[in-house]
Amino acid sequence: MTRRTVEHATCLGCGCACDDIAVVVDGDRIAEARNSCPLGRAWFADGSVPRETRSSGKTVAPDVALADAAKLLGRAERPLVYLAPDISCETQRAAVAVADRLGALLDSPTAEVAAGILASQRRGRAGATLGEIRQRADLVVFWGVDPADRYPRYASRYAVDPTGLQAPDGRHSRRVVAVDVGPSRGAADADERVAITPEDEVDALAFMRAVVLGRVTGDGTVARAATGLATQMMRARYVALVHDAEPSPHGLLHHPDRAEALIALAQALNGPARCALSSLRAGGNRSGADAVATWQTGFPFAVDFAPGYPCYRPHAGAAVLLGRGEIDVALLVGSPAGVPPAVAAALGQVTTIAIGPRVSAAPFRPKVAIDTGVAGIHEGGIAFRMDDVPLPLRPALSGPSVAADVVRALAARLTKGQS
Amino acid sequence: MSKARLRIAGGAVYDPANGTEGAVRDVCIEDGRIVAELPREAPKLDARGMVVMPGGVDIHSHIAGSSVNHGRRLLPEEHAADPAPAPRLADPDATPRSGTGGTIPSSFTTGYRYAGLGYTTAMEAAVAPLAARHAHCELDDTPIIDAGLFALLGNDDYLLRQIAAGEAARARDYAAWVLSAAGGYAIKIVNPGGVERWKAGGRNVTGLDDAVGTDAVTPRRILETLADAANALELPHPVHIHCNNLGQAGNAATTLETMRALAGRRAHFTHLQFHSYGGERGKSWKSAAKEVIEHVNAHPEVSADVGQVMFGPATTLTADAPVEYLLHASSGKRWVNVDIELETGCGIVPYSYKEQAAVAALQWAIGLELFLLAQDPWRVVLSTDHPNGGSFLSYPELIRLLMDRGYRDERLKQVNQKLVAGSALADGLAREYTLSEIAIVTRAGPARLLGLSDKGHLGVGADADVTIYANDPDRAKMFATPRHVIKGGVVVVEEGQLRRAPTGRRLRVQPGYDRAVTRDLKRWFDGHACVAFENYPAVELGA
Repeated sequence: MTRRTVEHATCLGCGCACDDIAVVVDGDRIAEARNSCPLGRAWFADGSVPRETRSSGKTVAPDVALADAAKLLGRAERPLVYLAPDISCETQRAAVAVADRLGALLDSPTAEVAAGILASQRRGRAGATLGEIRQRADLVVFWGVDPADRYPRYASRYAVDPTGLQAPDGRHSRRVVAVDVGPSRGAADADERVAITPEDEVDALAFMRAVVLGRVTGDGTVARAATGLATQMMRARYVALVHDAEPSPHGLLHHPDRAEALIALAQALNGPARCALSSLRAGGNRSGADAVATWQTGFPFAVDFAPGYPCYRPHAGAAVLLGRGEIDVALLVGSPAGVPPAVAAALGQVTTIAIGPRVSAAPFRPKVAIDTGVAGIHEGGIAFRMDDVPLPLRPALSGPSVAADVVRALAARLTKGQS
Repeated sequence: MSKARLRIAGGAVYDPANGTEGAVRDVCIEDGRIVAELPREAPKLDARGMVVMPGGVDIHSHIAGSSVNHGRRLLPEEHAADPAPAPRLADPDATPRSGTGGTIPSSFTTGYRYAGLGYTTAMEAAVAPLAARHAHCELDDTPIIDAGLFALLGNDDYLLRQIAAGEAARARDYAAWVLSAAGGYAIKIVNPGGVERWKAGGRNVTGLDDAVGTDAVTPRRILETLADAANALELPHPVHIHCNNLGQAGNAATTLETMRALAGRRAHFTHLQFHSYGGERGKSWKSAAKEVIEHVNAHPEVSADVGQVMFGPATTLTADAPVEYLLHASSGKRWVNVDIELETGCGIVPYSYKEQAAVAALQWAIGLELFLLAQDPWRVVLSTDHPNGGSFLSYPELIRLLMDRGYRDERLKQVNQKLVAGSALADGLAREYTLSEIAIVTRAGPARLLGLSDKGHLGVGADADVTIYANDPDRAKMFATPRHVIKGGVVVVEEGQLRRAPTGRRLRVQPGYDRAVTRDLKRWFDGHACVAFENYPAVELGA
């Protein structure tokens, strides 16, 4: 078997969506994912995926699995459609259509970052695409996050290392401040460190905003740190305020007002300076699920089609309804590994149909499981970077079934069943 | 009803492009096109007593793409207040979709509502080429209407570098490449130089000769370079210009200076209302509609759409990010800003135009003045800059304001008089648009300005996009609820009900360019961009 290389492949190992990966294929396996980070290498791995189609534990023909899935969904009283990671926007679009048809609840891991989305719906946001941060930022503040941990190439591709229009010397053109919020440490390679306890975090952000707006000064410990940092930010030309929107890896719950306080500070800084809040999101085209749900329904997550049209239920999404035992049948589309633990556990308690990469091996044992390829490894289409920049996917391998095709075939059966 | 043949029989036909003004005649359709005649046994749609026009063509609207979607995400309460259940379509295999409305409806609802309004073509007027792939995805989910997108240029780093280096030919080749790569239809310029300056840490440019990074690059040079490029490339639509200083008192001077800067060149000036203000920044407001429209009237190479403000909810959404910052700072309303790498910006503020607010009343009056003082309806066409001046759903009300002086004068009395007093509108503009003129400003004119030779008319060979209205003396009602709408020969609205939702076509251009530019672009991408050169084009480019 010959070796071949797929250039400019997009990695969905995290939300950075690096699109400079050279995937070297040897036979039917990935031998190497050049340029990728450890996360990316683990995500591509050797590209092997199971190729099962199962119903009630038995291997069946795809048609049988689809017929069983359509029957279960057709009888469902309170169905859930869940957009898990590792599917393309094309698959997400087809899955939202199924939710619409079924009158289902639609949700996705976007619910994990609900506090930030709800805050941005109340206030808006001040942001930038990652490349613009590279071009402009002269002050980068890592707020309780070191991207090296979960976004390994953020530093080398976006900020702080690369050169930009207004950062001709790359790292040397920028000042880097790490804000350590308890155990959530800012970037290791910082010019300055500021320590804030998790209890003081939101107060500090609010205080900084007040300083920026010229309203307050103070001399307590938090006030001194906040005043110093806020003053530095006001004097910068373009501030990138970087935080992790995803749940904490330390198992800490973010303060419910943290996201709004970050947004408010970033917006206020656009008076005396320019500022963009960079909200880090995990991979697998999670941002695509948010974007697709928004354009097809008007809402980014937790969309209930039960009334016959989309209703926003940000406080009664998949986790809540599954927890209350209201869901009887769930259609999971995407990779089970990316489903939040609470949702994954609950899926084991209801009848679940799963279409996506490695679903036949899902710990919650779906009633019907149709393995597909992984978007970006076996399937093409479009995926969104964490900043909503859309990128093409360049599959290196052929997979089992194509997820979008399977979901569309299921939709066709549901349409026939109901007409 | 089959797509193949249809005779629309006995209606009063308004087809100004072909000189027909209300003559009673049949319109024949076969295989999606207008034909001269059909056999007698062909299916017939009785249009006696009704008004027959080409399908509406929206020259400037914001309906798809990353900025629009940022706006949509910002408006959950509007969507909750305007649910849109799936339509009951005739085809049992069709998959009708539910959605939500408000000032930025969901994608399917956008397509259904445009068609329900008798519009069959719409142009998405501002797409960052970097995000064009997203806009195409949304348009794929926007049924019925044919759509194109305008690619944002004029604050993009590569272009500004070519201008700084005096490389006009390379700038033209680049414009052709980027337009092709975006799958775009026209070049859109938004606040040339101003968005770049905002991103660079300044606030905005103030006039045509401000330096943008270097003295060699000014708004004037950007405008000249792109206007010349569009004309040299023989694009069907010339540069589509959103001038500097949008929304500022006294900005008519900048608008007129821009028009003079491009003298002799074809150019389209969009949402002219937002650029026709007299007075002085920070001090006073008044209408400068008369001065601006007189220039347009006297210069046949210039065209415009009005960007009428309608009272009620709107969402201001533009690549002109510094303007949205000012609106946020002055109104305290929710605000989204997204700086888009190496290309442009995005700003969003939900807004409401209140008739008791002095400036909103003036904006409303200025739009109407532009319409009523325009001498050539072919060159001054209808838009609300949806959703900036109001939703496209407000077009019927706007049409009534244009056609019915009594109604217009009544409405004028109800608005805040502070700034309106003394305007041409308050002095009494007697003009009432005729049905034929409405057909021009809502379909024939936009189609002609866009260079869409198969649209906006009912001549043999034209696309069979036809709208049939009951001839109601209440023109708002008439235009809000067409009886029948035919798109590409398919009857999509039947007896006022949406019954079919075929997929619309994408309108795009692929101008030629010297391939040498791609080698230089590749180097520039490698040095500056965060997306691979090979991954940038949203559509396949020819070899």
